[in-house]
Amino acid sequence: MLKQRREAPAIFNHIILSLLVVFALLPIMVLFFNSVKSNAEIGSNPLGPPRELHFENFKTAWERGKFSRTMRNSVVLVIGTVTSVLVLGGLAAYSLARLKPPGSDGFMLYMLVAATIPLWLYLIPLFILWRSLNLLNNPLGLILIYTATNSPLAIFLLRSFLISIPRELEDAAFMDGANKLQTFFRIILPLAWTGFLTVGLVVGLGVWSEFQIALIFVQLPEFYPVTTSYFAFASRFGRDWALTSAAAVMMIAPVIIFFLALQRRFVDGLTAGSVKS
Amino acid sequence: MADMASSANLEGYQPYKKPVFRRLMQRTIIPWLFILPILAIHILVVAIPSISALYYSMTDWKGIGEANFVGLANFKRLFTDDPVFLKALKNNFIWLAFFLTIPFGLALTAASLLAQVKRGAMFYRLVFFLPYIMPSVVTANIWQNLLSPRRGLGAQFTASPVGEQLVKLGMPDLGIPFLGRTETVLLSIAFIDNWHYWGFLTILFLVAMQNVPLELYDAAKIDGANRWQQFLNVTLPGIRPTLLFMLMMTAIWSFLVFEYVWILTQGGPAGASEVLGTYVYKQAFQRFDTGYAAAMGLTMSSFAGLIILIFIVLRKRGWDI
Amino acid sequence: MKKVCLVILCLSFMFLSLSFAQRESVSVWVDDNEENQCILPIYEKFNELSETAEVVLTLQAESWDVTRTALAGGAGPDVVQTPGPSFVYELAQAGLLEPLGEYATSLNWGDNFVDWALSLGEVDGTLYSLPTELETIVLYYNKTLFEANGWTVPTTMDELMAVSEVIAAAGINPYAHGNAEWRPANEWFVSAFLNAVAGPEKVYEALRGQISWTDPAFVEAISTLDTIQQNGWFSGGLDFYYTATFPEIGAALGNGEGAMNIEGSWRLSNISDYFGSAAGNDNDWDWVAFPTKSGEETYSIGIGSTFSINAISESKDGAAEFLSFLFSPETQAELAVSCGRAPAPVRISADLLDGLDPRTARLFESIGKASDAGNYGYLTWTFWPPKSDVYIYEAIELVWDGQETVDDYLMGLETTFAEELAAGDIPPIPNR
Repeated sequence: MLKQRREAPAIFNHIILSLLVVFALLPIMVLFFNSVKSNAEIGSNPLGPPRELHFENFKTAWERGKFSRTMRNSVVLVIGTVTSVLVLGGLAAYSLARLKPPGSDGFMLYMLVAATIPLWLYLIPLFILWRSLNLLNNPLGLILIYTATNSPLAIFLLRSFLISIPRELEDAAFMDGANKLQTFFRIILPLAWTGFLTVGLVVGLGVWSEFQIALIFVQLPEFYPVTTSYFAFASRFGRDWALTSAAAVMMIAPVIIFFLALQRRFVDGLTAGSVKS
Repeated sequence: MADMASSANLEGYQPYKKPVFRRLMQRTIIPWLFILPILAIHILVVAIPSISALYYSMTDWKGIGEANFVGLANFKRLFTDDPVFLKALKNNFIWLAFFLTIPFGLALTAASLLAQVKRGAMFYRLVFFLPYIMPSVVTANIWQNLLSPRRGLGAQFTASPVGEQLVKLGMPDLGIPFLGRTETVLLSIAFIDNWHYWGFLTILFLVAMQNVPLELYDAAKIDGANRWQQFLNVTLPGIRPTLLFMLMMTAIWSFLVFEYVWILTQGGPAGASEVLGTYVYKQAFQRFDTGYAAAMGLTMSSFAGLIILIFIVLRKRGWDI
Repeated sequence: MKKVCLVILCLSFMFLSLSFAQRESVSVWVDDNEENQCILPIYEKFNELSETAEVVLTLQAESWDVTRTALAGGAGPDVVQTPGPSFVYELAQAGLLEPLGEYATSLNWGDNFVDWALSLGEVDGTLYSLPTELETIVLYYNKTLFEANGWTVPTTMDELMAVSEVIAAAGINPYAHGNAEWRPANEWFVSAFLNAVAGPEKVYEALRGQISWTDPAFVEAISTLDTIQQNGWFSGGLDFYYTATFPEIGAALGNGEGAMNIEGSWRLSNISDYFGSAAGNDNDWDWVAFPTKSGEETYSIGIGSTFSINAISESKDGAAEFLSFLFSPETQAELAVSCGRAPAPVRISADLLDGLDPRTARLFESIGKASDAGNYGYLTWTFWPPKSDVYIYEAIELVWDGQETVDDYLMGLETTFAEELAAGDIPPIPNR
């Protein structure tokens, strides 16, 4: 599979792709520059390379943003949400893609319609409900909300990946006497690994960078997520962009590392899939 | 999880069930048990609180204190007595047109080119996905600087030696305040949001493309199809479920857009970038017309609902979405 | 499983709260920003001094949105901070705030605050809030640039317009302004011109509903502001104004690309960052009272925020004790000296302000004096009701863009204001 694709006229592809790389990277380069400038220099030199290096920005931002705590909190939220979305959403997606029970169209319609409701509309009622259920200031409370708000996209994406998996494998598993749940975990999940990984990444990323819900539903600093860290450098009408940039770099660094680590899995999943099919 | 386990166990007792019940079990109950947990969570978080929003849309609630029932007055005001609402709605449609074309064009191009290369594939993938992981506040600020009429890219190029020569030859000053002009502001914000969004689409399409059976490409080549024809006849149909679904979600999100507009312009200058999302937020959290905001939010949802309707019709006609 | 987790969590919370039971715990939520980082020692000092209460401070982003949602949902901190009196009015009417009258008497708050300050916190005759951070709008200018060019620092509106023209003719932006990071910055200018051109007396009458906002005096005020925008004096044109960020404005004023800056007293806390060797220039700054049409030195005042006590708080006495400490002249002076933060409208003796930059001290002294004498103007975010306030900074852009005339704008303001006046949503206006 990969071998065949290498035969394509690669030079042309690389030229276009490199242009897109410049487009994607330029602003990120500016971010890295700004993360080591002083605030006054950002005012007069907002784009170029730094004239002086202020690496202490990272230390200041780390301490003032209380990153050691907020990162830990966000990791809990990400793991909790990704697990519940992939397991519960994955089961639902499997049911929609393969089992298609009567009324499942109605469920899909419900999920779609729900995706059109803006958060502001139900924020206060949800807050009141969460308070009565004792779910404020509780990571579980946030994980439930994130699971719900991420589920429409996750279920539909997973479903569209599952539809494209050949059916024969499942039928063979059924023949061997596996039940539906076993089939899902033993046959489908390994095959749809890339799809699940992608959805997990998207959901995890969404949770990692979410703050509007977290700000309202968590009022104790010991539960604050990492996004609150880069708010610590706001001033009354503006913000300290040097520290905010340093904070942003520290926020995206774990994601980049994680993504790089996952890339291998991506490739493994792809080759595994192609061998089996 | 408890439901799940019991459903699995039940299957073990199959011999004791009557055939009709077994059928029901297999075709309906077990599949629904798969769906139930996530549905329950979703109803608790979104559906139940939203029902009260439905009620608030018919009151003069301020977000605090008593709410008086006013019937459909809020909806009437929306369509007959609120020019800002209509302007915002129009801007949402412009946004929709932008997001259904530009990011999809970029992402389809990048994904189909990327699917064919091996060397550097990992690098490209990481780089294209990077913008998606940037916090919105930071992305917005960097682009604010890049597009700045004083120190942005355009202004710096104009001030450079090359730029100065070109100005003498009649090139205009490229330090254009894109975010400060009523004619350019909305599309500039869309451009910035797109910078953050297109890589995400690319990765989704790429994953979908990996599932397209290779034999189809071979068959197309034997028929003498060139690359463009292969793309049209093999790639696009192959990723259709993902493509159509993302078109639909992007359309829905186009009606809910809030974050980038809020951070960059808050709807300004002079209301030129006002969208429904920012207007609802202003009504609810600045002017404290929470009841009116709820009515507007519901109207927003129903526009997004229209998009869903279109896709349902397509599905009825046999498109697999 | 989830239930077990919840029970364990609840138990651990109970245990935690038990261990602090000897002192009343008072929760306070404030915005997580640089200014508030600076006040942390004040809170620690209270906790050291008090034997009966302990403040638990939470720094959070967008604190007001969070507080408001929490209050609406029947929760929230013990000490409630709002962005201004009109918000207090709304919360008090909904029964969410504790009346403070008895505390004011028993803790002698009347002795500390200047006369109008406590009446600003009254809703229907009952005290609900205390005002913090007295604010005003002044004219900052690049002193070095003015001296080098021999320009006269303006004291009247005519002089301001004249010097602006001279500066513009010299190829320098008369004003370094922008609202890219804070759209409501528009209202700083509307506030300044309404009070400076029409005069505080007229504004007061309009706020009381005695005259209309379409009065010719207000037309003149808004027209003057519009002239300045149309001349491109704010950072070289409207589209530049809309795209300038605060660091850019600061840098422009500091390096002399812009000559003047109409802004609030809050700018004092960081204006020095943009001048002198730290910013790579040899310039210096100063300020004057914002020039008025009459030539009389006037200060428009407003407040940064208010403090109240949550009606459902379980430690109201502790909260009141903390407010007493926070609004004591000593604490306010300490905030001013160590954080450059404008003090609350309390009577501070001059010796408490030792160690302040003289320019800053002079400004604090001037507003304190003006407010105590009752000779002051009104800033929009404190004295206008919420919808009118939003209208003021949103719709002014339509005027600047040429979509609306000044008359349309003021007519619209009158309509919105009249509605809120009829509904009784006007914040208390201290008598003149």
